[in-house]
Amino acid sequence: MASVAELKEKHAAATASVNSLRERLRQRRETLLDTDVARYSKSQGRAPVSFNPTDLVCCRTLQGHSGKVYSLDWTPEKNWIVSASQDGRLIVWNALTSQKTHAIKLHCPWVMTCAFAPNGQSVACGGLDSACSIFNLNSQADRDGNMPVSRILTGHKGYVSSCQYVPDQETRLITSSGDQTCVLWDVTTGQRISIFGGEFPSGHTADVQSVSINSSNTNMFVSGSCDTTVRLWDIRIASRAVRTYHGHEGDVNSVKFFPDGHRFGTGSDDGTCRLFDMRTGHQLQVYSREPDRNDNELPTVTSIAFSISGRLLFAGYSNGDCYVWDTLLAEVVLNLGNLQNSHDGRISCLGMSSDGSALCTGSWDKNLKIWAFSGQRKIV
Amino acid sequence: MAAGASARDYSFAAEYDGPPLPYSLPRAIPLDLSRIPLAALSSSPPASPSASSSPLPVVRPLTPSSLCSAIHAHAHPAPRSAAPAPAAGGAVVDSPTSVIENHHAAAHHSAELPSSPSDDEGAGGGPEALPLKPRHHQPAVTFAETSGSLLQSSDDEDEYEEEEDEDADAGEARPRAAAGQSSGSLSPAHWRGGRTRGCYRCGKGGGFWGRDKESCLACGARYCVGCVLRAMGSMPEGRKCLECIGRPVAESRRGALGRGSRVLRRLLSAAEVELVMRSERECAANQLRAEDVYVNGTKLSPEELVVLQGCPCPPSRLRPGFYWYDKVSGFWGKEGHKPHCIITANLNVGGSLDQKASNGNTGILINGREITKSELQMLKLAGVQCAGKPHFWVNADGTYQEEGQKTVKGKIWDKPIVKLLSPVLSLPTPNKAANQSGEDAVNIVNRVIPDYLEQRTTQKLLLVGSGASTIIKQAKFLYKSGKPFSVDEREDLKLIIQSNIYNYLIILLEGRERFEEESLADRRKISPSDPSSSGCCESGVCDEVTEYSLIPRLKAFSDWILKAMALGNLEDIFPAASREYAPLVEELWKDPAIQATYRRRSELPFLPPTANYFLDKAVDISRTEYELSDMDILYADGITSSDGLASTEFSSPQLSLGGLGVDESDAQDTLLRYQLIRINSRGLHENCKWLQMFDDVRLVIFCVAASDYDEYYEDANGTIVNKMVESRQLFESIVLHPTFEQMDFLLLLTKSDLLEQKINDSPLTSCDWFDDFTPLISRNLLSSSSKSTRSSTGATLPQMAAHYMATKFKRLFQLLTDRKLYVSYVNTLDQESVRLAIHYGREIVKWEEEKPVFGASETVYSEEPSSFTH
Repeated sequence: MASVAELKEKHAAATASVNSLRERLRQRRETLLDTDVARYSKSQGRAPVSFNPTDLVCCRTLQGHSGKVYSLDWTPEKNWIVSASQDGRLIVWNALTSQKTHAIKLHCPWVMTCAFAPNGQSVACGGLDSACSIFNLNSQADRDGNMPVSRILTGHKGYVSSCQYVPDQETRLITSSGDQTCVLWDVTTGQRISIFGGEFPSGHTADVQSVSINSSNTNMFVSGSCDTTVRLWDIRIASRAVRTYHGHEGDVNSVKFFPDGHRFGTGSDDGTCRLFDMRTGHQLQVYSREPDRNDNELPTVTSIAFSISGRLLFAGYSNGDCYVWDTLLAEVVLNLGNLQNSHDGRISCLGMSSDGSALCTGSWDKNLKIWAFSGQRKIV
Repeated sequence: MAAGASARDYSFAAEYDGPPLPYSLPRAIPLDLSRIPLAALSSSPPASPSASSSPLPVVRPLTPSSLCSAIHAHAHPAPRSAAPAPAAGGAVVDSPTSVIENHHAAAHHSAELPSSPSDDEGAGGGPEALPLKPRHHQPAVTFAETSGSLLQSSDDEDEYEEEEDEDADAGEARPRAAAGQSSGSLSPAHWRGGRTRGCYRCGKGGGFWGRDKESCLACGARYCVGCVLRAMGSMPEGRKCLECIGRPVAESRRGALGRGSRVLRRLLSAAEVELVMRSERECAANQLRAEDVYVNGTKLSPEELVVLQGCPCPPSRLRPGFYWYDKVSGFWGKEGHKPHCIITANLNVGGSLDQKASNGNTGILINGREITKSELQMLKLAGVQCAGKPHFWVNADGTYQEEGQKTVKGKIWDKPIVKLLSPVLSLPTPNKAANQSGEDAVNIVNRVIPDYLEQRTTQKLLLVGSGASTIIKQAKFLYKSGKPFSVDEREDLKLIIQSNIYNYLIILLEGRERFEEESLADRRKISPSDPSSSGCCESGVCDEVTEYSLIPRLKAFSDWILKAMALGNLEDIFPAASREYAPLVEELWKDPAIQATYRRRSELPFLPPTANYFLDKAVDISRTEYELSDMDILYADGITSSDGLASTEFSSPQLSLGGLGVDESDAQDTLLRYQLIRINSRGLHENCKWLQMFDDVRLVIFCVAASDYDEYYEDANGTIVNKMVESRQLFESIVLHPTFEQMDFLLLLTKSDLLEQKINDSPLTSCDWFDDFTPLISRNLLSSSSKSTRSSTGATLPQMAAHYMATKFKRLFQLLTDRKLYVSYVNTLDQESVRLAIHYGREIVKWEEEKPVFGASETVYSEEPSSFTH
């Protein structure tokens, strides 16, 4: 019995020293980080991006879901979008004609995420059933028009909050879950290849909300969690997180790699988006909106996306706003929520098409909208 | 000066004085109202009494949205030629498709408007074609026998001629239409399918008879190939232009629902067309509207229509119109005509049957309806005595009897000749499924129901808390007669139970070791003071034996298991080899040492209360051919195949067969489906995001184990938490969750059987939250027997305790939300008790629906004079 008390004491002491070290690290970082992106670019005299309200227009409205849209994903090749909604369906859209090509009724209607395979032949989805289901889009629907599940990936002990295929690998998929872990799956066998977090002490300590895989080095991915941290993982090393990024003051809802693969952006319940440097661990920039005069509660960031160049950061907010941030100068360029034909409800998901020509937003108003640039392009 | 200042006040745009722009600006040309072409007033007098037949002048070309809204705004009662004014204002386009396109459109119009008369000539048929005849369609209300053929012709070539036909029909149908018009629902007010052949969007004429055009199902606007996708968007309800989404389809176009068109096939892939057609057929807005269907002279309510269409044998091809329905026999027909078909009897739809419903003149009544001549012929063929104009009662199964007499005279359908000849006289014969009304309610549950019906009728109940999984399982047993659990599920459960036996055993063995050490330590503490122990060395061996000691053989086995567990490979050994070790397990379980340990189970926090149930049957369970009994499944609490979420659906008829009896309204509810959803409380915490997904549930059923009050568990930080306090925290966080702000809550106190067992040994006050529980127990009863402890009000101690807990939760709920909490008590292992609890939940949902009608509410469980003081 004495040994237990001793151990507890030791544990408390260790925790305290870890915390003090972390605090020192934070202070050291602060002293080292003498500037942020915005200040530096201003000193370099970079011109801000400026958009007219008509430069970004909603050119398609994808109607057809009968519940809130929770998630969407583009195909890398074709202009197809898969969306998951509270009505318990996945719909595959042709973004050009705005028509549905597939409507898949799910066994478990509480779906939270969906993803397109790199080859565009299958879609994955996951939700409160704690499993990730894979549908092959070429398979024949049965008599009632239901699509058969081609594989179910089971093993998570909590809801599946997000999933993403490893680029260029049809058989590899990474999921994040409410059981505080991320898992790399082999889709063909349905087996877990590795589990990130969980028993290992360097894992997340709360529900993992989102993952993003580095497109230039597909061995690296980041995960954002309700423990307010973001962690960087190497697919080959499951035992520990490569790095942990602190900074947010609320649940991290969304993480997305910057197009160059050396940085990543985050969106959080604290109402801010942040840009982190993957290698140094520094927080490069905070994108926080002015608090409303009459409303003290900040809307939370639900989802983020980068433009193909990385100059623009799109952030969806819980109050229906969708800001376009200038990543260099940290200024709001446009609010899609104020434009003509904008959504009526919370923006729940964002996705940039692979060629960067269009942005798709999904909302609780049951619709998806596709936005495209319509102004005159100026070469800066 | 003052004038200048005020002018600036009113200006809202400053003049641009920057550098010259590289691009051209779209210019808004001021509108000159006098130059906007107005259609000439219609030739017929505007004060025409028959509003529906007077032509409505419409200007073309204008944007479809403005045109549509203009006509829509000026629905049929206003035939005055006011339409052009809003139409002109409609030059401000709000087409939702694209802002880019709007630029073009706006520019196009602003440039074009002043010269539009000449433009018209190019596009349309000249100025004389401008006053369009409005298309007030009332084709569906006619009951001419040929009406079916009208709807079948939907090919593009026939479209034009079809409209001519309908014009002719319209005259015929006018008397009926007037009746329909009074309700204002039978004529599509927004119909604008005119004679123009041009595209409603780009204005280009073309094609032969409107070929290569797609027309909107609701308003009839036609679009060319280039424009159809822009005008109709993603077609969530099929081929409707964007502004018509949500509107009902024009009855004349109902036949075209879900039939593919050449235009779409040219534009879209086969899969896309198929999905458009499917949504066209199945979306709720395109379905028959209840207010268009009259049964026995009464307009149907939406629920009645659902009942009608969802019954096992629904009327075929139901269309708007007037019908009669004989509830007793299930005969169904159009008003003024003989029976058309036989549908499910005893549906509670429409008014009461009129004697003249089928316009018969034979003087013979069937169920109060005067029958027609052909029916009489049929009765004669069936050998029914019809002399003296008798009045018959005919039941759903075809048995008939004379009015006022008890004896069944026979069955109409018994003679084969009747069935043979019925089609000849175009009289219906009963469908096979028709006679199974009510009995095969299971079929209703399992039948595939279209989505639009399902969404309208499924009510979701959310189950949270301890014991919820057992309730779900009970619900499956209750409402899924046949196969409540699939073979796979049973197989999974079996494996889990088999390996769980070893988990239970390990907990016991560890406990045993601890107790043995403790008792030995106790004994050693005593022994030094014991004078006799010094001399006796053989008693030293005896000293080592306590009531927790095992015999060596079992000890070896237990050590082996514990070692396997410590090495972490228990899972590998046990489900595989459980059969070989089953006898040993049983021997171990029956061993007095383990039984002694089990008696101290309150000190083993991880041992679930169901452990003894399974350990008792260890040998039986470990057999490979072991089949789970229903009881086993129920006892397997906390082990469900999917640990996240479970749900089961049922519909109410079986429910009402329960204790409370079938009340009148339940017949209506046969199609109401309920979905019980259980969520795992483990993942719930404050700010739990995924609870947002359940914002469409109707009722949250929160389960609390009444026996939790003296149970504790250790949380992640190592602090000991009372389970009841933990339940209260969970309750608070769910009640305060923003998603459930206005939700009704039902508290179920479960495990009252365990409460009864332990309340006398362990006082309720052992839980901090319940420290003011002071039951009044009369002394003489207390002394007589502790088991039947009764208070002065006649309630037993467990009852009082449960009631007290309920009140505690009610007060908490009142404090948090200022509303009332519904409470019920349930024993989850008792099927009847669960059935009543679910029934109660269902009643609450119904009650909440009807509350606005009845006014203020009051909980069913009123707070009786409490038997305890505060």
